[in-house]
Amino acid sequence: MNFIDMLEMSVTNLRKRKLRTALTVLGVVIGVASIVIMMSIGIALKVSMMEEIQQYGSLTNIEVNAPYQAEGTKEADIKRLDDELIETLSALDYVKYVSPRLDMSVQIAVGKYTGYPTLCGVSKEYLQDLNINVGEGALPTGEGSELEVFFGNMCLVQFYDKQFQGYWDTGEVPAIDLMNDNLYYTFSDETPVMDDNGNVIRKPKRYQFQTAGVAAGSIDEYHQYSYQAYCDIDQLKAFLQKAYHGRAIPGQPTTKKGKPYKEIYYSSLVVSCDDMEHVQEVATIIKDMGYNAYSDTEWIESNQKTANMIQMVLGGIGAISLLVAAIGIMNTMMMSIYERTKEIGVMKVLGCDMRNIQMMFLIEAAVIGFGGGVIGIIFSYLVSFALNGIATGAASDMGMSKLSVIPPWLALAGIAFAVVVGMVAGFFPSRRAMRLSPLAAIRND
Amino acid sequence: MKQTDKEETVISVSDLYKIYKLGQERVPALRGVSFEVKRGTFCAIVGTSGSGKSTLLNMLAGLEPPTKGEVIVAGEHMEHKRENQLVAFRRKHVGFIFQAYNLIPSLNALENVALPLSFRGVRKSVRIRAADRYLDLVGLQKYKKHRPNEMSGGQQQRVGMARALVCDPEIIYADEPTGNLDSNTSEEMMNLMRNIVHERGCTLVMVTHDNHLASYADQVVRIQDGKVKEITTGEALRERMEAMEKAVAGQV
Repeated sequence: MNFIDMLEMSVTNLRKRKLRTALTVLGVVIGVASIVIMMSIGIALKVSMMEEIQQYGSLTNIEVNAPYQAEGTKEADIKRLDDELIETLSALDYVKYVSPRLDMSVQIAVGKYTGYPTLCGVSKEYLQDLNINVGEGALPTGEGSELEVFFGNMCLVQFYDKQFQGYWDTGEVPAIDLMNDNLYYTFSDETPVMDDNGNVIRKPKRYQFQTAGVAAGSIDEYHQYSYQAYCDIDQLKAFLQKAYHGRAIPGQPTTKKGKPYKEIYYSSLVVSCDDMEHVQEVATIIKDMGYNAYSDTEWIESNQKTANMIQMVLGGIGAISLLVAAIGIMNTMMMSIYERTKEIGVMKVLGCDMRNIQMMFLIEAAVIGFGGGVIGIIFSYLVSFALNGIATGAASDMGMSKLSVIPPWLALAGIAFAVVVGMVAGFFPSRRAMRLSPLAAIRND
Repeated sequence: MKQTDKEETVISVSDLYKIYKLGQERVPALRGVSFEVKRGTFCAIVGTSGSGKSTLLNMLAGLEPPTKGEVIVAGEHMEHKRENQLVAFRRKHVGFIFQAYNLIPSLNALENVALPLSFRGVRKSVRIRAADRYLDLVGLQKYKKHRPNEMSGGQQQRVGMARALVCDPEIIYADEPTGNLDSNTSEEMMNLMRNIVHERGCTLVMVTHDNHLASYADQVVRIQDGKVKEITTGEALRERMEAMEKAVAGQV
């Protein structure tokens, strides 16, 4: 007997008992829908979690820091973040690029306010990858000899007035136009030079830089770039080397005699990997080289584990109703077999292969599962749509953009699962049908 | 067509026993039955109810295993086969006509007749064409699309016959095929069966309790109390019955 014939027989049998079939299918619909909807809530939770993580930093980045150096470590053994290391790291597998980062503490005076943001010199690629939403002006191009500064949208919270009151104290945004006001920068780590009598002979110098732009967003809107002031690393290095020619650059290490090194060492490096999967591997290599490497992956992984567990628990709750549906399928199949004992006997007398008989009943159960699965998925999409529509308020309260997300794989898996459950539920009845005696056909009752 | 060598034995039963166990009791249904059926013969197994004739048929068709003895059908020993082998054997060699017709209620006449062919994996178009031909043969041209519940008993049994014939089987078993029909329809049915079987040269084994119906057969095996009482021909049976009728009439 070929498959199509068996399928036809099964469907004919199901259609003969429409109401019973419909009720059994309804059970599966509810079972599938409850699993899928529960899981969709878990998935939505996971999606929003990932979105949140994305806000705190790029998921593919590793931050590399110099390890702690004990006093008296030999000069040759001191690990420093320099251009040579950048080259070494760039050559590693899975690494897209390595950006240096030089953090300079600056003090910015403007009108009655003084601000204390960090000026970060970074590479152009890194700046691009931050996905900054530019509000005014533009990102620093890095071209030209003049240093250009780009401010994050929350930089202004680091500005204080004469009474040392800032935004967090007063709730008022400092009246500063970063684009157009005159900003006077001094480097906080530059110490005044004094003569033997303690008289200052050279005060830290004030500089003025061009403002390239300001990030979009209110003062409360956090992104990983919100607090910093950015500039191009090459321009920053060029400026520092010119301004502090022959002297120690503020914040840079010096030799034991207090003399500056030729090279500028970076505060940290950012290693950007091609994929989240490789982050851990690359981080391990860097750690083995003796540097501190920090990435978000461990945190993300533990978050994901929690999310997965929530999803499983939700799915498990939904699975109970599918289990009930499976019992329903089994019951329906048993009934159908009792009713058709004679018919099955006749088929056996007429030479229908036993395995074909079993198969027919398995297909019947699978068709119930499939029908229930498909309708259940359609129903789930409707419910999901309604949930997202009605409960947007509740969702945003929980920090979620959507309450329910049904990705295509979940829909397909839902249908496949329903078919499998149908067949498992139908297995025992189908075996019973296969083993029925052909003598049932002969008996006249 | 099939070779109609009258001398070839197609069914051979020797020393067949069947003992049922009902609780502690052992009830013998067959007690040493032996006979042979030649190819192309119409054989009637006659007996009163409880004589063991139905049990004998079950054993011939491989629906029940015997307790002891040999059943050889179409050269194959039935008593050694497993259930799925028996099913395969019936699919290949056997057609079956039931007392209660046993058509599948959800299928129409054509589909019912085509059913055994579908068990053989014959393509739908081919088997529907074959079913169509056999329904013509049994005279049901007008009822091909009818469901069983839209037909009379006689019509249903004709569908049953067409279903038994459609695979072109070597042997057809019929279990009280006219048991649920009135006498006129029974006569028609018996003539139809005899003619078709003789035309096609296949062997027909019919179980009945009715001597009159048995007299249509070429060979009559009378079973009584689980044993073969006599083996005779339908013609001899008919003559004897006519003689008896005359005697009865004479007395009155």
